Amino acid sequence: MSLLTEAQTKTTAIIIAAIVIIAIIAGAAYYLSQKPAQTVTVTKTQTVTQTTSPTATTSPTKTVTPPKIKEIKIGLIEPLTGAHAVFGQEAKQAAELIIDIINNELGGIKNLGGAKLKLVVADAGETPEQAKLAAEKLVAEEHPPIILGAYISRMTAAVAEVTEREKIILVMDGLVDSLTEQGWKYVFRAAPKASAHGKSAVDFVLDMAKKKGLEIKKAAVIHEDSIFGTYVAQGAITELMKNGIKYMAEAYPYDISDATPIVSKLMDYNPDIVISVPYFHDGVLIAKTIKEMGFHPMFIAGAGACGYTDPESIKAAGEAVEWYTNTYSYNPARPTEWNKKVVEMFKERYGKLPTEAAGIIFYSLMVVKEALEKAAELHPEDPLNPDNLREAFLALDLTDDNSIAAQLYPTGHIKFAPNGDNIYAGTAVLQVINGEPHVVWPDPEPGIEPVFPRPDWPGAQG
Amino acid sequence: MMAIDPSLLLQNIVNGVFTGLLYSLVALGLALIFGVMDIINFAHGDFVMVGAYLTFVLATTFMIDPSLTAFITMPIFFVFGIVIYKLIIERVLGAEPLIQIAVTVGLLMVLRNLALMIFHAEPKGVPFTMFTQPITLGPITIASSRLVAGIVSLVALGLVHMLLTRTKWGIAMRATADDREVAELMGINVKRVYAVTFGLGTSLTALAAALIMTFSRADPYLGLLYGLLSWVIVAMGGLGGVIGVLASGLIIGIIEALGITIVGAGARELFIYLTFFFILWFRPRGLFGKR
Repeated sequence: MSLLTEAQTKTTAIIIAAIVIIAIIAGAAYYLSQKPAQTVTVTKTQTVTQTTSPTATTSPTKTVTPPKIKEIKIGLIEPLTGAHAVFGQEAKQAAELIIDIINNELGGIKNLGGAKLKLVVADAGETPEQAKLAAEKLVAEEHPPIILGAYISRMTAAVAEVTEREKIILVMDGLVDSLTEQGWKYVFRAAPKASAHGKSAVDFVLDMAKKKGLEIKKAAVIHEDSIFGTYVAQGAITELMKNGIKYMAEAYPYDISDATPIVSKLMDYNPDIVISVPYFHDGVLIAKTIKEMGFHPMFIAGAGACGYTDPESIKAAGEAVEWYTNTYSYNPARPTEWNKKVVEMFKERYGKLPTEAAGIIFYSLMVVKEALEKAAELHPEDPLNPDNLREAFLALDLTDDNSIAAQLYPTGHIKFAPNGDNIYAGTAVLQVINGEPHVVWPDPEPGIEPVFPRPDWPGAQG
Repeated sequence: MMAIDPSLLLQNIVNGVFTGLLYSLVALGLALIFGVMDIINFAHGDFVMVGAYLTFVLATTFMIDPSLTAFITMPIFFVFGIVIYKLIIERVLGAEPLIQIAVTVGLLMVLRNLALMIFHAEPKGVPFTMFTQPITLGPITIASSRLVAGIVSLVALGLVHMLLTRTKWGIAMRATADDREVAELMGINVKRVYAVTFGLGTSLTALAAALIMTFSRADPYLGLLYGLLSWVIVAMGGLGGVIGVLASGLIIGIIEALGITIVGAGARELFIYLTFFFILWFRPRGLFGKR
């Protein structure tokens, strides 16, 4: 009995000790967590004074002559390490190339007396927290008036929180629709957003059907259920509805183990066309299952730039992805003078073809150049003021004839809406033909014809 | 989705049966190891992942059908299993479950990150297979790779069942599972039974992986998918031996296919785990668990 009570008092003692220790730790943690918050506010005020200093120096000259700007810093925040490093590294290569072209071949920003651009780069890592920290650091140390980044949408959102607060223009290469739906004032996106990818896939199919005199009555949309995949699918569905086409839609997690139930559902619905928004893994599985189950619709079009037409997917799925298409934010085969030139220079310098990550930076950075020219024209007294820059971006109407930027863009037309998105956004369509990806729409590669309808569609024989 | 076409329903029951048979095969190795050795192997799904990569490498190097690589990968995996057993598992036999979990989760992390390092995150697939023609029976279409996967799985389950019930080795394994000490007293070399069980359980994942690769792909996170699924099947089967694994694999396969048909593919996991939950609610020891 006494042993038991002794044990009881012992446990009570341990419990009390534990509570005391936890309380001490909690107190210390609270104290420590308060500390950094204070330092954050300190840096905040610092950066505020830093951002106001350029305007302070410019305000006296405002009345007389425009300021002499020799160099403009352009920030680039991309995932240079971690899971998304492939994209970030290529974006950085593209940015370095375009900056060289602007400074050396084009003589800098002409309206600012040939001011040069200087690229300042930060690593966004692989999480939104890392991206935000990188943005804070870049802004505090370099305070560039314009920043580009950060490819992965949730990381782009984290960077935008900083740039909005500091009134810095952010030209985004993240594609999720919601990035331009937050009411942010200083964000712009030339690249086609996720839903524009879905819309382009449908537009391509309808355009081809019209050319071949085929009628599309029923469509199926299948998509992986991430935010990105859902937005792409929404874009496709909206476009189908607009054209009065009946449709079914099916979302699935990208790590499904078997696609037979989904393909059976498709076969039962028997649509004329399938719009598929895969990630990479599910793309292989779905294409193989469709082939094996002997499902032969008029056409199967991918959307969203993941899977089907990239070299890795073609290697993994083989014949199963023949004639599949996918939409891309950049067209390396677009036959304009400057696009050919930039692709050649990129190939020469880095020994590879530019993919989407590089392409978005090509035209986004050229848009930045045009905006700086415009700002100098509209507000020579203070061209780098964020509100003046914003006004300049909104005043742009870039086409193949008046800009390099548009020549690098899939649709050849860039004009920003007040929310920051390009009104004329569109994608290029790539198709797997004889096991090789080729650009087939809207500007096909020389000597390449899109294959439409699928030759294995029963109606194609006639 | 007002009315569901009965032929679509039938089609998906057929789909579910073949997928379920394959799921049973995936879980069989785990059931064997857990049943005989009482080891909680969290790396089981990642053995499937390693098997899938090995299948990919062999099939694309020698240009043979992924299903045929099983003849090479199964013996390799048998040895691989025994090596893992000797190096890692033997040391934690009879240790607290938490330690066993920590060790096998560690193994899982090593395998997964090795795969990420060597093959990167992009999926790898074998771009050819001899099973391309679908088999059509009235309104039902069966992909031949799934048919083969299902039949081979069923045969493998049958053979393991025979091994356990008809052979000396199987009796030794079951005796060890029932009572290790008594088995030892009866002259059974328990350590050797354990090593062979672990080797056999591991080599079965290689067979499953070869069948999976006829229609799917290898990626570093494949283990996540099949590992959890295997645990659900083993827990639901209630250690009822091969029959329990077969029954719960089929239930999972059919429920999954019907769930996707009737409600939607997004809720696939919901159906699996709801079924799991309900079965364990009414039969806490699983379908075939002994009271």
